[in-house]
Amino acid sequence: MKTKVWLWIVIAVVVIAAGILVWNSQKPTPPAEEVAKPADVAGFNPDLFVYAGAGDAETLDPSKAYDTASSEIIFQCYDNLLAYKPGSLTEFIPMLATEVPTVENGLISKDGLTYTFPIRKGVKFHNGAILTPEDVEYSFERNMLADPVGGPMWMLLEPLLGVGTIEDYACQLAGVDDFSKVDEKNLIKTAQAVMNAVEVKGDSVVFHLAQPYPPFLSILARNCSWSVILNKKWMIEHGDWDGKAETWTKWHNLELEEQTLFATAMGTGPYKHISWNRSNSTHTLEAHADYWRGKAAIKTAIINNSVTEFNTRKLMLERGEADAIYVPVENSPQIEGTPGVNLIRGLPRLNNVCAIFNQEINAVDNEFVGSGKLDGNGIPPDFFSDINIRKAFCYAFDYEAFINEVVLGEASVPYGVIPKGLSDFFDEKGFQYSYDLAKAEEYFKKAFNGQVWEKGFKLTLVWNIPNTTRKTACEILKHGIESINPRFKVEVQGMEWNTMLPRRREGRLPMVFIGWLADYADPHNFVYPYLHSKGDFMSFTGGIGRAFAAREFDALINAGINETDPQKRIAIYTELQKKSLELAPHLMLYDAYDRRAHRDYVKGFTFDPICPAQYDLYSLSKSLK
Amino acid sequence: MLSYIIRRLLFLPLVLFGITVLIFALVSTLGPWTRVATFVPSPDAERHVNLEAMIKKYHLDDPPLKMYLRWLNNLFHGNLGWSQSSHMTVAEAIGHRFPATLELTLFAVLPVIVIGIILGVISAVHHNDPIDHSTRIFAIVLWSLPDFVLGLAVLMVGFGVLGWFPPGRLSSWAHLEVIKASFRAFTGMYTVDALLNGRLDIFWDALRHIIAPVITLSCLWWAFMLRVTRSSMLDVLNQDYVRTARAKGLAEPVVIKKHALRNALIPVTTVAGNMLLGLMGGVVIVETVFNYPGLGLLTSTAATRLDVPCVVGVALFYAVILVVVNLAVDILYSVIDPRVRLE
Repeated sequence: MKTKVWLWIVIAVVVIAAGILVWNSQKPTPPAEEVAKPADVAGFNPDLFVYAGAGDAETLDPSKAYDTASSEIIFQCYDNLLAYKPGSLTEFIPMLATEVPTVENGLISKDGLTYTFPIRKGVKFHNGAILTPEDVEYSFERNMLADPVGGPMWMLLEPLLGVGTIEDYACQLAGVDDFSKVDEKNLIKTAQAVMNAVEVKGDSVVFHLAQPYPPFLSILARNCSWSVILNKKWMIEHGDWDGKAETWTKWHNLELEEQTLFATAMGTGPYKHISWNRSNSTHTLEAHADYWRGKAAIKTAIINNSVTEFNTRKLMLERGEADAIYVPVENSPQIEGTPGVNLIRGLPRLNNVCAIFNQEINAVDNEFVGSGKLDGNGIPPDFFSDINIRKAFCYAFDYEAFINEVVLGEASVPYGVIPKGLSDFFDEKGFQYSYDLAKAEEYFKKAFNGQVWEKGFKLTLVWNIPNTTRKTACEILKHGIESINPRFKVEVQGMEWNTMLPRRREGRLPMVFIGWLADYADPHNFVYPYLHSKGDFMSFTGGIGRAFAAREFDALINAGINETDPQKRIAIYTELQKKSLELAPHLMLYDAYDRRAHRDYVKGFTFDPICPAQYDLYSLSKSLK
Repeated sequence: MLSYIIRRLLFLPLVLFGITVLIFALVSTLGPWTRVATFVPSPDAERHVNLEAMIKKYHLDDPPLKMYLRWLNNLFHGNLGWSQSSHMTVAEAIGHRFPATLELTLFAVLPVIVIGIILGVISAVHHNDPIDHSTRIFAIVLWSLPDFVLGLAVLMVGFGVLGWFPPGRLSSWAHLEVIKASFRAFTGMYTVDALLNGRLDIFWDALRHIIAPVITLSCLWWAFMLRVTRSSMLDVLNQDYVRTARAKGLAEPVVIKKHALRNALIPVTTVAGNMLLGLMGGVVIVETVFNYPGLGLLTSTAATRLDVPCVVGVALFYAVILVVVNLAVDILYSVIDPRVRLE
C-alpha cells in the first residue's frame, strides 16, 4: 500500500514539474511582436484585403436588405446618384448624377416636389454594359414595386407616394382593406403611379414627390442600399420584373431566396461580387477594372463574417491572417497596444440606446409588475404615465459609471433622442441628465401624490440574452433606485429574444431596452421612431403613451419634416431634443461610439458615421511604408 | 444477415416519423409570436417590420397539426424547407455542412480508436504499474478538460504562438483558388477534393487547418476510449481461458492479441459507434472555437434562432446516421465475435 502512495506522489510531482517546464519554456520565446512580424512580411499581399467579422448578410437584394451586414456588401458593389461630401452629413457630391440638385441650380423645383438628376455618361456596369437613365428609373421602380415585407422600401414610398407600403397604396386606390382584394385595374394603376413618380427626361431622371421632403437627398445618397442603381437589361435577362405595369405583382413581396439579387450583385460599384459562400459566411469581391472613378487599389477582398469567436478574430489580426476585424466594445482593451495594429476608438456613429417607459402596461397575468397595484409589491399599469416617476428614473441612472466602466468610455451622455453624431442639426448646448439621487428622491416623493414614496414599489427589468451591456445598464438603474428608498425593489431578468418578443408585443415589459441605428443621416429618422405617436418606439408605450406623444410631439415632428429652410429645421430639432428630455418619454441611456481595428499597413481609412460598411474598400490600400 | 439488415432499414422510416412527431409536438407549444422572432434577428432589428403580415405569410398561426401535415407534404416533395438562420434551404445547408463535419470526424476518429485502444491495452497489460497509472492520470486529465478550454489553448499555442494551425477551413489564398470554376468540388471535403484535383498545396493548407480541431476533438475521446478498452481488457485478462492459454505456455503477445483483445473489443465497438455519433454531435464547441463551419455550428445557430425547419431537418439527418451507424455496429459484432448471429 505504501509503495502505491509513493508512486502517486512521484507521478503527481512529475506531472506538475512537466507542466511548469512547458510553461516556462514558452516564456523565453520572443514577444508576439517579433513572432508576428516575419509572418506578416512573408505573407504580405498588398492586393488582398481580409476582413473577419461575425454575423452574415441576410440578402444582397437592395429591395429587401435592411441589416448592416447586407448593406455592407451592397455598399461595395453599387453606386448611388449622390454621396455625402467627406466629413459632412449635410452636403452632397454627385456620383452617378453629374450635379447635386438644389433650388438654386433649378434641379429642385421651388415647391420642393420635383427633383431632377442629370445622369453621368460612360459609366460601365460590372458586365461592361453602359449605364443609362433607364437603368436609374428601373432601379427605383423595381424596388418600390417589389417592396417585400420587412424591407426598407418605405423610405422611398413615403416621400414619393405618401404611403408606407406599396400594398397600402393599392388598397387606398381600390378602397379595400386587404391587398388580395385589389382588382386588376387598380393594380395596374398602382404600378403606373410608381412609374410616374420616377421618369426619364432626356439624359436626366426626374422624381415627383407626394409632399416636400427635406431629407429626400439623404435617402438617395451613397450608404442607402435601397437607392442603388441596378442594371435593367441584366435584371430582365435574369428573370426579374420586365418593366411592365401589368406584371409587377409576380415579383412583389417574393420570398427572400426567390429574389434575383438574393445572392448576387450587378452594379456599377467599385467591386464585383464574385461569390457568397453561405456555409462559410464569406463574400469574395474583386475590383471592377472599368470603374468610372478608376480601379480600386485593393484587387481582391474577402469579407469573412463567420468568425463569431472574438479570440479567434483577435489571433487572426495578430497573425496578419486578417487585415481588419470586428471588435465589440467590451473587447477593445484586449486589442489596445497590440503591436502592428491600429485601434481607432471613439468614432461617433449615428446610434443611441434608450429604455422606453411603458405608460400602459398590460398587467393581466404579468410576472414583471408584481401585484399590479401600488401596494409596495408591484406597480400599477399606468405607473410610468406619471412624469415624476419617469424623471426620477432618469436621475437615478449613473450615466458616468455606465459610460466609463461598461462601454469603456465609448459613448456619451445624450442631449435627447437625436445622437451626438447629428449635432449639425441641433444646438448642442442643451440640457443633459446626470446621476442625481437627491433630485430623483424629490420626484419620487411627488409621484402619485406621495403614495409611491410611502408604499414603495416592485418591478422587473428585462434584458435580452446575450446583451450583457444592457444587463449591466439594468443593474446600474436598479442600484440607483434601490439606494433611494428601501421600499423600492427592482429585479433584473435576462430573456432569450424569441421569448421576449411576444411579451414585448403584448406590452408586458415595464421598460423596453432598445437601440436605434440611423437609416439615413437626418434627425427625422430619430425623432419619428422615438417620439411620434405612430413611431416604432412609442408603440411600446401603450395607448396612454401614444396619446401623450400625439399631444406633445406629433405637430412638431411634422413641422420639422415639412420645413425646407435648414435654419428653421435646426430650431425645431433643438426644441424636440429639449422636450424629449423634459417630458422623458424614454430614459435616454447613451449615444454609442464605434471603433475599428486593422493592421497598421492598411492605409486610407476614414470614418463616415453613416456608412454601413466598416471599411469603404475603395478608399483603402495596403503598404508597408 | 441480409434479411436482418433489410429489416433494420425498414424500421428507419418509422423511427424518422416518430422523431418528426416528437419534435413537432415540442415545437407546437411555441406561439406564433415566438416563431416569428426567427425573422427578426435581434430586438433592435424590429423596425418597420409588419410582424402580423409575416405571421400570415408563413402561416405561423396555423394549428400544429396543419403545420405538421404541410411540412410532411413538402417533405414528400423533397423539400425540407428554408433555413432562415443559414440563408439557404435546409437540404442545401446540410449538404454543405455535413462534408465539413464528416471530414473533421474522420480525421479525429482514427487517432481516437488507434491511440485509445493501443494505450488501453498497454494500460491493462501493465495493470497497476507506473505505466498504467500515468496513462490513467493522463486520460483523466484529458477527459476532464472542458473542450472550450482545451480548444482555446490549442488555438493560442498552435496559431497564436507557433502560427502553425490557423482557424477556419482554408487560408485566404486557398479560398480564392477553391471558388474558381476550374476547382471541382467532388465531396465537399477540402482535403479529399484537393487531392482529386491534384492540388497538393491546397491539400496541405486544408490539412493545416484541420489539425487543431482534430487534436481538440480527439483528445477528449481517446481518453474515453482508453478507459473503456482498459476496463474491458482487464475483465477479459482475468477470465479462465486466458489463464488456460498462459498455462499451456503460449507467448504473452499471442495471449493478448489472439485470445484477449478480440473479446475485449466487443464493448469497445459499441462505444466506438456511439463515439462516432458523439463526435459528430459534439463538434459544436470545437467548430465555434476554430471557426469551422460544420453541422455543429449549423445546429447551434438554428436552435438559438428557433429556426424550426433547420432544427427538424438536422434532427432527421442525425436520426438516419444514428440508425445506420448502429446497424454497422451490429454487423461489426458478428465479424468480431462469430458467436453473435444476426437474425
